[in-house]
Amino acid sequence: MTETPKTAAMEGREIDPRLLEILVCPVSRTPLTYDRSRGELVSKAAGLAYPIRDGVPIMLAGEAREISDA
Amino acid sequence: MSVVMSKTKTASFGFQDVPAHEKASRVRGVFDAVASRYDLMNDLMSAGMHRAWKDAVAARLNPRPGERILDLAGGTGDLARRFKTLADAARTRSGGPPSEIIVVDINAEMIAAGRERGLDGLGWAVGDAEALPFPDNSADGYVISYGIRNVTDIPKALGEAYRVLKPGGRFYCLEFSKPTTGALEAFYDAWSFKAIPPIGKAVTGDAQPYQYLVESIRRFPDQESFAAMIREAGFRRVDYTNFSGGITALHGGWKV
Repeated sequence: MTETPKTAAMEGREIDPRLLEILVCPVSRTPLTYDRSRGELVSKAAGLAYPIRDGVPIMLAGEAREISDA
Repeated sequence: MSVVMSKTKTASFGFQDVPAHEKASRVRGVFDAVASRYDLMNDLMSAGMHRAWKDAVAARLNPRPGERILDLAGGTGDLARRFKTLADAARTRSGGPPSEIIVVDINAEMIAAGRERGLDGLGWAVGDAEALPFPDNSADGYVISYGIRNVTDIPKALGEAYRVLKPGGRFYCLEFSKPTTGALEAFYDAWSFKAIPPIGKAVTGDAQPYQYLVESIRRFPDQESFAAMIREAGFRRVDYTNFSGGITALHGGWKV
């Protein structure tokens, strides 16, 4: 396992892809979409975008950015 | 957001009662203040015993290959690293898919302090025990260690634990508790209230966070009362084990 080249996620700069698979919106409990360019996890149902800071998703409604419904 | 503001109740903050919606940010302030010295704090509060207690939690949980384990209030990843070591060792012996151990803490500073020590193949997320960012029936194990006491709405957090666990999933909670003998309680009280805040101040320059910690321990429900709360959340076969005469207790339960 140690021989695998280090990915950005392993070095902690980007969110761990395994986390992306499991995380849901803590408010609506619905799936999230990953907006890589903004570094956010978007919950359409709740109208919230959760920030990813230093590779760590901040899954708190109070820290999320409100987005207008598309 | 009405989801979080439960009818303007008050919540305990150490010996003070503060508006329920203020507790979370106040607790966060405490942990921001002590994040980088977190182990020291635990050493003080437990006279160095917390390491042995954490080993006991890991042994009890017995994480298996392929399991998803949530380590709530996992901050520095202390416990999660133990889980990973055990799960990896089991995988070496018997094969199977890798385990997935996820550290969740409401405090970004604590997570940062943990990642600083090494990511170690763990998942890391900032999240609230009262509103978990995981689907129903998605975890094999849920552990909260020295965290439940700091949660504003404990029944809500227990309900969330129950929700995210799969049927057959297990719940463990390690928390400071009530010493089982009067003599030990008197000694521990003296240690907690007279010694710890000044030591905390000497080491970190601030006694206040430590004062909060000892007060919050004192106010936390005793072993039986807390076991009743866990049953109330739906868990079955709830039990607890006292460590060091009840200075700490490990509660456990199963979602069936």
